[in-house]
Amino acid sequence: MKYLALLTGPEDIGQSRLFWIVFVLLVLNFVLGPLWMSEFEASNVSYYLLNLPMALGLCLLWGYCGVLSFGQVAYFGIAGYLYGIIAGNMRGDPWGPLLGEVGGLAACAVVSAIFGYFMFYARVQRWIVPILTLVLALLLETFLGQTAGYQWRVGSVQLGGYNGMTGIPWFQLGDFTFFGYSFYYYVVLLVLVSYLGCRALVNSHHGKVMLAMREDPLRTELLGYDIRARQLAVFVIAGVLAGLSGLLYVQWGNYITPSQLGLVQAALPVIWVAVGGRSKLLAVAISAYALNWITYSLSSAGNQYALVIIGGLLVVVMLFFPDGIVVTLARNMNRQALTRLLRRPGRS
Amino acid sequence: MEEFGLVISVVYQFGTNAAFLLLCALGLIVILGMMNIINLAHGELMMMGAYTASLSYQAGLPFPVCVAVSFLVVGFVGAVFERLVVRRFYGRELSALVVTWGISLLLSQGTLMVFGPFLPSIPIPGGSLDVGAYSLSVYWLILIAVSIAVVVALAWLYNRTTFGLHARATMQDAAMARALGVNTGRIYMLTFSLGAGLAGFSGALLAPTASIMPFMGQQFVAPAFITVVVGGAANVIAGAVGSSVLLSLVRTPVGFYLGAFLGLVALLLAALIIIRLMPNGVSAALLRWSDRRAQSG
Repeated sequence: MKYLALLTGPEDIGQSRLFWIVFVLLVLNFVLGPLWMSEFEASNVSYYLLNLPMALGLCLLWGYCGVLSFGQVAYFGIAGYLYGIIAGNMRGDPWGPLLGEVGGLAACAVVSAIFGYFMFYARVQRWIVPILTLVLALLLETFLGQTAGYQWRVGSVQLGGYNGMTGIPWFQLGDFTFFGYSFYYYVVLLVLVSYLGCRALVNSHHGKVMLAMREDPLRTELLGYDIRARQLAVFVIAGVLAGLSGLLYVQWGNYITPSQLGLVQAALPVIWVAVGGRSKLLAVAISAYALNWITYSLSSAGNQYALVIIGGLLVVVMLFFPDGIVVTLARNMNRQALTRLLRRPGRS
Repeated sequence: MEEFGLVISVVYQFGTNAAFLLLCALGLIVILGMMNIINLAHGELMMMGAYTASLSYQAGLPFPVCVAVSFLVVGFVGAVFERLVVRRFYGRELSALVVTWGISLLLSQGTLMVFGPFLPSIPIPGGSLDVGAYSLSVYWLILIAVSIAVVVALAWLYNRTTFGLHARATMQDAAMARALGVNTGRIYMLTFSLGAGLAGFSGALLAPTASIMPFMGQQFVAPAFITVVVGGAANVIAGAVGSSVLLSLVRTPVGFYLGAFLGLVALLLAALIIIRLMPNGVSAALLRWSDRRAQSG
């Protein structure tokens, strides 16, 4: 019961019974999807879903904690490349991919902990965190871009320079390999667990402290909370979630290029979160799914306007929907429902 | 004579690194010091400066005039941005970062669509100068001199003019400055325009040393951001000069022995360690030091 209360708590969209019925139907829709989706469509849906953990992590960081990061793609890349190196070197070993997954996530945790230590324990000003994280991503991109050639290899895996790392193995557990429908279910499960985990986190006691830090760091500290350690903890969680997206990405497409860590890709998570509304996890999840679907369709149509559309969307949303489109819609829907209830005759 | 040449060469390397960092970061730090906003479209404004310089150079203007034109054009563009977009975000620094990033994506992709993937480059003016066994580029020597001149001009602007007086008052306490009759909105617009103009100016100056492409701004942003983070916002000139000198002390030897990329990595590591020691940047540390000296002396 206590754990259920964490899920239905007030810090995300949807507390009513109706909401949870719709939510369960939505999950069922994804679970039963393969009944009417071809394997190709299921693979596309896995792609739209696999970016959700990174978006949710950034939402925790920016919307709930008041710390913005522009470099979440750095962890995406670290996890993806490390998975490729470990699983690629242990090709044939049934537990290699799992080890690669653990290694990739651990590397994300370590890098974000070190990087975060220097920033949060120095109590830097707010604008420094996004700038330095962006520099980290750009440097990683530059480094990986110049690793072309045979001398840049780890064991039997070549880093591949701007062409990227190819032939990254599928995920497998023992002798069971995940691709097609089974990969789709694996993604749906991990994304659902990430979302519910984040939702439980923001409704927990730690979540309240996060909100307090966003509203007034000094006052939170005077109430006896170590804000440095707590900001660092959320920063690490967000890094690991971004790493999870990176893992799913390389397991989905079997390749990764340095441009996945570049300036344009770095902008995408920020856009998903800003468009949805950074203060609500579910809003971010919806916008991330929708925007991934749109950009994927646009870019596979070879549309050169994709970047202009994304940049323009970002400017328009920040100017006219500072709370995000989905959050604004949800709020208006609630208000309309309320006024309709109040206006109903016979109820005074 | 051989040692003399080596010393000159090391000093030259150090000078070019410091001048490069200073030119990349000046426009950014001018805006940051005033409004506490990082302009993420900075790299794209530098790109616009380079484009303006290249186009006017092809039109037959002499290079110094091209640089001046870039300063004016990009400064005007900056003023327009400030009026239309940026001024709605004062006091919300994180949102300002995000919206300027949107502008930067629009600018770089828009440039690609209008002008195509590249413009003809500008030949490097000036030849080379031989000192012992080493040869120095005259153009980079000019750039070092220009960056010193820009710093002097900024110091004059901030300390000797009415605009500078009003600007410093606004930085210290905007509400009080407004109460005393300073038009802070105008100061903000002029400062943003000045910062953008400086970005265009630097972009034009660095244009002969780079290839002129829509995404060329990206190579300048990482060093510029690190310089600004280390410099801090307490005092524009102390921050810019202190940080670029400090960082080129790190970058010169690492870049010399281990290559340009590791030089950049060393910059990031140095920045992490410096902010751990001086969270508000070199400028705040310098100010505190000079205050303490003034009190004890």
